[in-house]
Amino acid sequence: MAGVVNIVLIESTFLLRAGMESLVQEIPGILIVEVFDGSEKNLFEKIKKKKPNTVIINPNALVNNFLSLMTKLQNEKDIKLIGLINNDCSEKISSRFTFNLQLTENKHNLLQQLRVIFGKGKSVENRQKGLLSKRELDVIKEVVKGNTNQEIADKLFLSIHTVMTHRKNSTKKLGIKTVSGLMVYALMNNIVEIGEMG
Amino acid sequence: MLIVLEMKLSDVIHHDYTLVPVINRFDIKLGFGDGTIEEICEEKNINLGFFLIILNTFHDSQYFPKEYMRSFPAEVLIKYLRKAHKSYLEGNIPEIKKMINVLLSLSNAKGKTLSLIKNFFDGYSAEFSKHLEREEEVVYPYVLKLEKVLNSSEMDKLPEREIDNYSINKYEQEHEDIEEKLSDLKNLLIKYLNVETNESELFEETSYLLLRELFVLEKELREHSRIEDLILVPKVEEMEKLFKTLT
Repeated sequence: MAGVVNIVLIESTFLLRAGMESLVQEIPGILIVEVFDGSEKNLFEKIKKKKPNTVIINPNALVNNFLSLMTKLQNEKDIKLIGLINNDCSEKISSRFTFNLQLTENKHNLLQQLRVIFGKGKSVENRQKGLLSKRELDVIKEVVKGNTNQEIADKLFLSIHTVMTHRKNSTKKLGIKTVSGLMVYALMNNIVEIGEMG
Repeated sequence: MLIVLEMKLSDVIHHDYTLVPVINRFDIKLGFGDGTIEEICEEKNINLGFFLIILNTFHDSQYFPKEYMRSFPAEVLIKYLRKAHKSYLEGNIPEIKKMINVLLSLSNAKGKTLSLIKNFFDGYSAEFSKHLEREEEVVYPYVLKLEKVLNSSEMDKLPEREIDNYSINKYEQEHEDIEEKLSDLKNLLIKYLNVETNESELFEETSYLLLRELFVLEKELREHSRIEDLILVPKVEEMEKLFKTLT
């Protein structure tokens, strides 16, 4: 799937880890691919192996390794760095991150900030409102009349591959997967008449 | 919450009332008193370990200890699955049909939407009953026979595999179809229901009840096929293999 954000989390306490995971679960398209507790050897290499777009770090987890790891990570241009920090965190530490999340923040604000960081804020998938394109509609009409993919391809002068793509996209837009479900949809919306059904 | 034997069953139901149909399948009815799960199971002669597992899998979809579940006799599993079938066929499905009929009677004459939905669900329920019947009449008896032969001394003959031409793949495929149609129906209601009615309040109320029933059935079936696909099917394959090594 395109556009998935892969996150590596560095956090040593169970409770914060679980909290972060539950928070991230509420934003589609974002995935925590690995969690480290910060004490691992060769942590930088291990992180890189996961090819994350984002690393979320609680500086407390790293203790003395903080500066050396951060210096290496900051050289990775494709990786966003997010700090999980306390109110009393020194500027010296917090300024190392591209973004900071305050541990004391409430859920609503944390989610808003994450959405802004990952650019999922404005468009909850800018898909057109489940409307089928003209071509998709043509294909669905033929499907509910009982035609096979090959027959539809021949009739509409399309490749069978294109027919299948239209079907797949229509199914995704409508949320209707079965042929009999599509029949009901088509009849309900006067896309076909009962007499035309296969 | 992990449900464990020393909990009171009443506390468990307070915590998750959707487990009521599940305990019904073990012949526990409301008004079951103040006992712990262990006590109630003993009194009712219920396999305690199995009961706990079923409660937990229904309560928490993350909880699914495959290996442990496979350790129960097929007989215990099938007894439960049969009870569940019965409750779908005599409870959930007729209830949904009834609500669709109410909606149909509330919609204006020229509206065809509800008759379409009714036809769709009638087709679905026919397919569904056929699938369950097949399980009860072909699949389960074969599994039970297999288990019986393996537990006896007369292992001279492997029961004929009457499900040979009906491969396990197809069995799982049917589960998938059943789930997909149900999810289509939900979407048709949620996204595309468009009906003219003179009694819109009652119509909306009933539509909501219908949708709720569909969600309930969907969850039931998800758990049910999970048990069949991930527990029963592998168990049968295991028994067949064991049989071959023994003979």
